[in-house]
Amino acid sequence: MKKLALYLSLLAVIVLLFIASLQIGIIHLQTPLWDLIGKHDGIDATTVWDVRFPRVFGAALLGAALGVAGVIAQGIFRNPLAEPTLIGLTSGATLGSIAVIATGAAAFGSRTNVESAVLFAGLAALLVQLLAPNKGLGFLITGIAISAILTALAGVMISISAKPGVQSLSFWNFGSLAMLNNQTLKIIAPFIELGFISAFMVSRKLDIYSLGENSSHYMGVKPKQIRLWAIISLALLIGPAVSAVGAIAFLGLLVPHIVRLLVGPSHRRALSFSALIGAIILMLADLASRTLFQPHEIPLGLLTSLIGAPALIILLRLRSAQWVSHD
Amino acid sequence: MINVKNLSFYRESRVVLDELDLQLAKGELVLLSGPNGVGKSTLVQLIGGVLKPTSGEITINGTDISKLKVKDQALLRSIAPQRRIFTLAYSVSEILHLLPEKRRSFNVDLIIESLGLVEIMASKVTELSIGQQQRVSLAIALIQEADFYLLDEPFSAQDEDSVLNLVALLVEIKKEKGVMVVSHKTGTHYSQFDREFKLT
Repeated sequence: MKKLALYLSLLAVIVLLFIASLQIGIIHLQTPLWDLIGKHDGIDATTVWDVRFPRVFGAALLGAALGVAGVIAQGIFRNPLAEPTLIGLTSGATLGSIAVIATGAAAFGSRTNVESAVLFAGLAALLVQLLAPNKGLGFLITGIAISAILTALAGVMISISAKPGVQSLSFWNFGSLAMLNNQTLKIIAPFIELGFISAFMVSRKLDIYSLGENSSHYMGVKPKQIRLWAIISLALLIGPAVSAVGAIAFLGLLVPHIVRLLVGPSHRRALSFSALIGAIILMLADLASRTLFQPHEIPLGLLTSLIGAPALIILLRLRSAQWVSHD
Repeated sequence: MINVKNLSFYRESRVVLDELDLQLAKGELVLLSGPNGVGKSTLVQLIGGVLKPTSGEITINGTDISKLKVKDQALLRSIAPQRRIFTLAYSVSEILHLLPEKRRSFNVDLIIESLGLVEIMASKVTELSIGQQQRVSLAIALIQEADFYLLDEPFSAQDEDSVLNLVALLVEIKKEKGVMVVSHKTGTHYSQFDREFKLT
């Protein structure tokens, strides 16, 4: 009951944030927001529906995706630090995205661009799994090393490409919702929805998997299969996000920690809540990034790092961060 | 019946198990004993299907386990590994509900009571003592509905009373199931076991 009340409150916060974010911005609306519903002409209508709406909706959708991805990543690698960024998925998606743009195979924000990001994200995660000597520290360090290689390759491609849509390395590394439009959203949304469905399907098995690989096998859940399934879910969530807005740091790491403090470790419950918390944090961060230093806009990933990293340290220091260390 | 036939297992060309034969039938409570490092846990992992035999075969109720899917193996036998590391702070109650209702033994209440978990159902598994964690680990395996139960060193962190309660529970369970306990220790509490299989 308490959890249902919490869930509904978080949903209410999202709705309020949504309305506030449509309302607030550099251009002051002359017409009340209410009167703009269904209208598509005039500066106010264009500002709200073509500029602000895709950003706000995108922030909610991608925040939810990154939050859910964080829970899946920590669950499947049984490691509280297994953020998609640290284990190769994000840099894989970045490289996949840049590769098709830089070679001229597809335009920024196109379906091919998204598909390539999804594919490369999944391959990068598999590569890290394949090369890691163990599931603990060795796994994370392998992930960091692979990420560095993939990011460097992406940087080289950007340097030698003259294609206009390739964006700067700073865009890819620090993330920004500024390029989001309704067209891109329509392309990435189905991928992310598939990612949500697949993540929810894998979530119950992740509880059993958390007892260890042998235990999982003894209880009827094949570890190899669940890992593959989880990586596919992660690629479907992270790939589209990165292809559209670049890498947004710390969200995938921070959200699961907050959620476990609120509702405990059960993966299915954690998933529903992490979608909401992720959406709220990213909506707040986006609102801050475009209003704090008007008319300048701060890259979103910088903000999430500035808020997320200290918050994470505080959470980790609370004993109740709900993880015990592996041996 | 679990039937281990002519089973050998080599680890990097070192012989761990050599042409072993072993049976476990329903209605039996069997002790698998032997000194440390003789391959008892390896045998459990082979029967559990996480290791593959170098040669020989293991059948459960007549079917070679290598031909069974992981989820079908889990319907035939349940295993408590020697060590379970709890990484997430589930409550004891939550962790005993990870399996869907239809795969839980009808004996759940008796198991929870015999293992002394009633008072700690709301506690977080990560905050329990080693002995309590071991009893939770045993409960996880025993409430999984199956024909055969294999417990790897279930007494290692238990005091005398807990051992007696656990043995009494296993005697109850073996009325309809087959139970094998792996232990390197000897003691009086094994008097209620039907037989001992020594691994040397």
